[in-house]
Formats: sequence, structure tokens, C-alpha cells
Amino acid sequence: MNVGGPAARVFGVFFPLGLKTGKTRALALLGLFPVLLAVVARIFLRGRSGDMAAVFTEILMVFFLQLYVVILALFYGTSVVAEEVENRTLAYLVTRPVPKPAVVLGKFAAYALLMFALVGVGLGVSFFVLNAPRLADPSLYLTFLRYLGVLGLGILAYTAFFTFLGALLKKAIIVGLIFGFGWENIIQYFPGSTQRFSLVHYLKSLLPYRPAGIVGGGGGRGVALLLFRLEPTPPLLAVLALAALTAVFLGLACLLFRTKEYLYEE
Amino acid sequence: MSAVIAADRLSKYYGNVLGLNEVSLTVEEGITGLLGPNGAGKSTFMKLVTGQLWTDLGTVTVRGRRTWNAPELFRAIGFCPEHDVFYEDMTGFEFVAGLMRLHGFPKAEARDRAARSLELVDLGKDKDRLIRGYSRGMRQRVKFAQAVAHDPGIVILDEPMSGLDPLGKRKLIRLIKDFKKEGRTILVSSHVLPEIEALTSRVVLIHQGRVLAEGDVPFIRELIEAHPHQISVRSSDPRGLAARFVGDASIQKMTFGADGRTLVVETHRRDEFFGRLTGAVLEAGIEVEEISSPDDNLQAVFEYLVGK
Amino acid sequence: MAVVREKGYAHWDGRLVERRRPWWPITRTGIRLAFRKKAFRFFFAGGFLPAFFALGGLYVSERLEDFKALVQSNRALLRIDPAYFRTFLVNPPFLFLLLIVLVFAASGLVADDLKHNSLQLYFSRPLSKKDYIVGKMSVVAFFVLALAGLPWLLLVAFKLVFAGNLRFLAAYPLLPLGILGYAVFLAVFFALLFMLLSASSRNSRYVSILVFTTYLFSDILSGILTGIFRTPYMGLFSLRANIQQAGSVFFGTKPPLAVPPVWSFAVLAAIGALSLVVLDRKIRGVEVIK
Repeated sequence: MNVGGPAARVFGVFFPLGLKTGKTRALALLGLFPVLLAVVARIFLRGRSGDMAAVFTEILMVFFLQLYVVILALFYGTSVVAEEVENRTLAYLVTRPVPKPAVVLGKFAAYALLMFALVGVGLGVSFFVLNAPRLADPSLYLTFLRYLGVLGLGILAYTAFFTFLGALLKKAIIVGLIFGFGWENIIQYFPGSTQRFSLVHYLKSLLPYRPAGIVGGGGGRGVALLLFRLEPTPPLLAVLALAALTAVFLGLACLLFRTKEYLYEE
Repeated sequence: MSAVIAADRLSKYYGNVLGLNEVSLTVEEGITGLLGPNGAGKSTFMKLVTGQLWTDLGTVTVRGRRTWNAPELFRAIGFCPEHDVFYEDMTGFEFVAGLMRLHGFPKAEARDRAARSLELVDLGKDKDRLIRGYSRGMRQRVKFAQAVAHDPGIVILDEPMSGLDPLGKRKLIRLIKDFKKEGRTILVSSHVLPEIEALTSRVVLIHQGRVLAEGDVPFIRELIEAHPHQISVRSSDPRGLAARFVGDASIQKMTFGADGRTLVVETHRRDEFFGRLTGAVLEAGIEVEEISSPDDNLQAVFEYLVGK
Repeated sequence: MAVVREKGYAHWDGRLVERRRPWWPITRTGIRLAFRKKAFRFFFAGGFLPAFFALGGLYVSERLEDFKALVQSNRALLRIDPAYFRTFLVNPPFLFLLLIVLVFAASGLVADDLKHNSLQLYFSRPLSKKDYIVGKMSVVAFFVLALAGLPWLLLVAFKLVFAGNLRFLAAYPLLPLGILGYAVFLAVFFALLFMLLSASSRNSRYVSILVFTTYLFSDILSGILTGIFRTPYMGLFSLRANIQQAGSVFFGTKPPLAVPPVWSFAVLAAIGALSLVVLDRKIRGVEVIK
């Protein structure tokens, strides 16, 4: 069953639609908030580049990783299937010559690119504002790309998970909220391999910024909170784990959407 | 004519509730009306035909193929859903063109098809307005436009006239009849009897998940042996006329209309009555103004069948 | 006087007694609708767990001899005073749990009415905007008082029963008032907050996300600003911190932030005022088409 072409067509419809919606505008505004903070930090912490790095990491790690990416993935991930059912627009999609998995994949790709753009703009502008004095340093760009990569992987993994939840459950939002803001935060307090039962663990393992003595705490307050008791997974394994989880959840979502019958609430 | 859509002992459960119960019917080329009150199972049947629901028992096929997870069938099927729902942030044009892109049409052709189908439903001027700003009738028309823009051979319309004004309904009825002339198969559902009567004489009556009757209206009427036919005769002397039929064993009941000029007769042998009526009128020299069959319509047929 | 029937209507000569609480049917329906959801019932029941843990602590505190081994190092934890109640009621997990319950019960309070254009149905009855707002807010207030008020007042009673005397009440006479005051304060604030957020969107799903986003974002923002400016006043950006500051006043304990609690009350009052302004604009019987 060829899904590539049909998925691309679905992408072509939902990416422009996603750009237009009110929720995208509101989320884009939220994503510019770190830029505002970066400007404020530049004004109040001028000349202290060590503090700049710590502030950026706090903004990145605490805001982007623990809030923005999760919020975006929850909004858009559940929109892939659950919103179509809730709004009863599913009929328009499943009565087209498009295999059902292509609908999931196409919408997923459209929303993932959209989210990547939203995150990329906020991240990029805030990063370069805070690191303005060091723009000639090539290693800065590598660091930025690494941060972007982490958030990109986070977008893919979280969105795939919430897409799966949306395909499986009627009340996907609530479960997603509890997972994203409950489980993902609480799990860091668990020892040993328990931490590996979360997506955020692998993302944190990939972060480039690690102030001295960070494992077990230390560094800036935001950093300490985020890397609290982190027992990091080696980066390559973390990337593979995230890729595998993305593929598994997406595959399950496609399978569910193909085999499940969706009834509208009357 | 071979069946385009065929259902064989089709049943659908919603938990413990039976949505469709052993429905067997065929839909051939031309217009077929699916008639029944709200909750009868019309939408359920259409969702099964369009593969949105799976069958619990029995089968439903379109051109010999089952519809569940058969996306390639939808190159030839157009579906207009019942619910008034859209991607509200799109314009009417973007909506139809986007759905045409899903059919695999190149961008230019998708846009061209969208423009033509919107023109067909008189939305050419408003195609670049957001759907959220459309009136109820406009929304209904854009729904119809997306169902036919890809020139499907089979068109399935679930309550297509809901929300349309009388002019809009007339235009849509004309459109649907034009589709029939092009050799397409159209299945239309409604709970409004005159709409179905205006569209087609081929009707499937459905009630509480069961097919009550299938065929054209007079044929269905003939089936109802148990119910006598009503014939209304307006004349200058209804009582004189009645006196001539009192002794006739084929007449079951006679009543007089409130206007004082109408005699309504109930009889099992309609043709025989008409023959005798002609003779009686000539003999008595009674002036007959009008003869009609009040129950030779879908409303009466349906009411008989559901036992009201 | 005889009843005159005209065209099927009867002219009634009695006195129409106006209902005193026109908002009550709105509240009652909102509560009933919430209880219809299975998941809500589960989380609502879960909201009583902290009270059960606290009850266990109360019992143990009166039976310290029996639990000597267990409480050896934790004797301080089982000192039953206003701080004990504050520990349960004003801590982040309890507030988070309350938030989850309210998301189920109240996300769609106004959002669903906006989505289905139901406001016209409400205002075609003898119902004022005030009645509508009070009715909807009372749904939130009901659940907050049910979780943050009633069980904890009962715990004070349990403490007195377990102790077999009124010494606890004599030592802390203002505690029941403090619990009630805090519960009412929480009820009013969350009612206004949820009404504000629910009126912000026609989609109750989005409102659910907005609730958590607002709550967590305010916390994160506060943390970031504190890191930049290194002043405790940045804590005023956090909803959670403001609630905890206010809670400390009701329980007579030391506030967590080195900021006068009046500032926290001012911030929360400002949010409440914003809510009323937004509601006044959004709740309209007639839709204005631009």
C-alpha cells in the first residue's frame, strides 16, 4: 500500500491550514516569550556571559523542554485524529482515495514542521540575542544546532505519542496533560532505570550544556531543577530510543486509525 | 440493471442498540431515495456504504467491493455528510480545492474543479470567503460541491437539502436530476417526504433500522393490500353519488368532506370503483369537479407501513 | 375568579412568585454534568486522598505510643497544628490535583455555551448576566469547597473526637475559620480563573490545555525572572506561589516568599478583576456580527 504520495497530499492541505489557525497564532506568541526574556536578560545581565549561558539554558530547558514543546505536541498531536473525530470532519478525510495511515502520517508531518518552525524561531532569536557578543564563534552555531536538534526530537517524540493517544482514547487531552505535566516531571525523582520510562529523560541526556558538577544538582536554579537526579543515557542511545519511540507510536497510531471505528458523540 | 450498491442482511450495533437490522437492498443507476424519520438508520446505512463504519453482520458492497478500508473506491464515490461541520479557517474554495488535492488531482486541476463545482452551486461569488462566515444554506451548498467536484459516478447525499431555502432546494433537485441524466448513481436520504417525492419515484422506506418497503411509490402502494385505497370525489351532489354505492360490497367506508361537496370512499378494488363511478355519474347526471387519491403518496404509504 | 380559556391558553389571575435563586439551576446542571463523566468521578474521589492521609496522621498523633517505632524520627511531622493543615492544603501536589478535577468539571463551562451558541437560550429566560456568571462560578466553587473545605473541617472535628477533649480547639480557635476562609478564597479565585479561561475559547479541549499552560507557565516565568533579577518579588508572577502566600495568611504561618502577602492578594484580585471584565464582554445574549 503506497502511503508516501497520499501522505504528501495530506501534508499539502494541512500545513497551510495549520498556519492559518488562531491556535497557531496564539502558540507563536507564546513561543516569542523567550525572546522577550532574552532581551530583558541582556539588559540586566550585560557583560556576564557565563550568566548568559546559564540564563539561556534555563529558558531553553525549563520553558521549551518542560512547557512549550509539550504544549505544542499536545495541541497538534491530538489534532491529528482526536480533533477530526470531535469536530466530525473525519468523514471528509476517510471518504477520499487516501489510505488511512497516509492521513495520520501526512497530518503528523504537517504539524511537526509547523511546530519546528514555531520552536526554531523562538529558540533561534533568543539564543542569538543572549549570545550576541559571541556571534563570530563557530562553536556557538554547533551548540545552537544541538539545542535545536534536541527540541526537534522532542517535538517528534511527543507528537507521535500524543497522536497515538488521540487515536486510542476519547479523552486524550486529559491523559496527555497528566502524562506531559505529571508523569514527565515526577519520573525524575525515581532512581535507576525508571527514568528511562519517560521521553524527557532522553531529551535531557542530549542537552549540550552541562555546568560543572551538574549530575545530582548544581549550576543555575533552572538547570538544577531540570537535571535533578538525571542519570543520563549515552547520546547515541538516547537518539535511537527517541527515534524508535517515535516510530512505534506513529505506527500504532496508523494501525489504530486504520482498524478502529470512530463514532461521533450524538 | 446491475446493482451499484448492494447490502445483504446488513446489521449494525451500537453497543446494545441495533442501528440497522438485517437490511438487504440494492441501489441501481439513477436516483434512489432513502426515506425515514430521524433515527431510522439512514445515516448509519450511508456510513456503512461509505466505509466509515464496519459491518457487524452481513455485507455491503459498492460495485462488488467491500468499502471498509478500500480508499481506491472513493475515486468514484462522492459523499455529502449530514453534519454541518467544516474546517472553519478555510475559504469555500480552499476547502473544496484541498479535498480535490487529496484525490490526487494536480494543483491547477484541483483549483479548476473546485471553482467549477462552487459555480455549479451558486457559490462562485462567495468562494473566497471564510466558511465560518457562510450562512446555513451556503454551508450546505459547499458540502454538496465537495461531494461532486471530482465527477464521481456514485453520489451519496445524507440530508442534502437540510438548511436550504425553497429556491435552493429546487436548484439542488434540478442538479441531482441532471446528474441522473449523466448516468450516475445517486443515493439521497431525507426525512422530508416531499423532497424525496420531487427527486425520484424509487424509494426505500426505512424505520427503526429495518427496510419497510422498496420500489416506486405506486408499486409500494399496491403492496399494501391490508389498507383500502381512498378516493375523493368532489361533485355537485355527493350524497346522491353516495346513495348509488351504499349497496356495493367493495366499498368499505364513505365519508363526506367538511365542504359539503366531497365524498371520500375507501375501497380495496380501486379500478372496479372507477369503472362503476363513471357509470353512476352518467346515470345520475351528476357534475364531477375533481377526482383524486389522497393516500396515493409517500406520506400515506409510510404511515400505513409504520402502523400510525 | 373563573379561568377564561382563549385559543387553548388559560388566563391566570394569581401572583407570580419570582424565584430567589435563578442561578441555582445553572449550578445544579453544571454539577450533574460533571458527575456524569466517569473519569471525573475517579479524579474527584482521588481529591479526597490527601484528607485520608491527613486523617491517618491525626490518628497516629493521638496514638504515638502505639506507633513509637514508626514515628521515632518523624515526631515533628506529627505535630498537629495549623501548619499541619497548611502542609496538606497549600502544597503544589494538592493544588495540581484540584486543577485536574476542575479541568474535568469546568473547562467547558462557558466554552461549550459559546461553541453551541447557547447564550441566547439562557438570556431568553428571565435570567441576568449576573445570574449566569454566579451560576457557573458556583459549579467551580462547589467542587473546590468539597475538596478543600468540607473534609478538612471534618478533620478538625475528628481531631477533637480522637483527643476526647477540646484542648486542640482552645489552642487554635481560629483554625476552622482559617480552613473555611482559605477554602472560600480558593473557591472564588479558581471560579474566576476558570471562567476567564473558559471564556477565552470555544473549544473546551483548548481550555484544558490553557489551564495547565497558564498555571505552569506562571511558575516557570517566575523561576526564570527570579534567576535573572534575584529578587523574591518575581515570585508574584507565579499563580502557585501567590496561592501559597495567601494560604499562609489563613493558617497564620510564615509565608514561603519574602514578600508581604498583600501583594499576592493584589495579584490574584487583579486576575479576578480581569476575569470579570472579560466575562462582561463575552457573555452576551445577542451575537454581534461584524
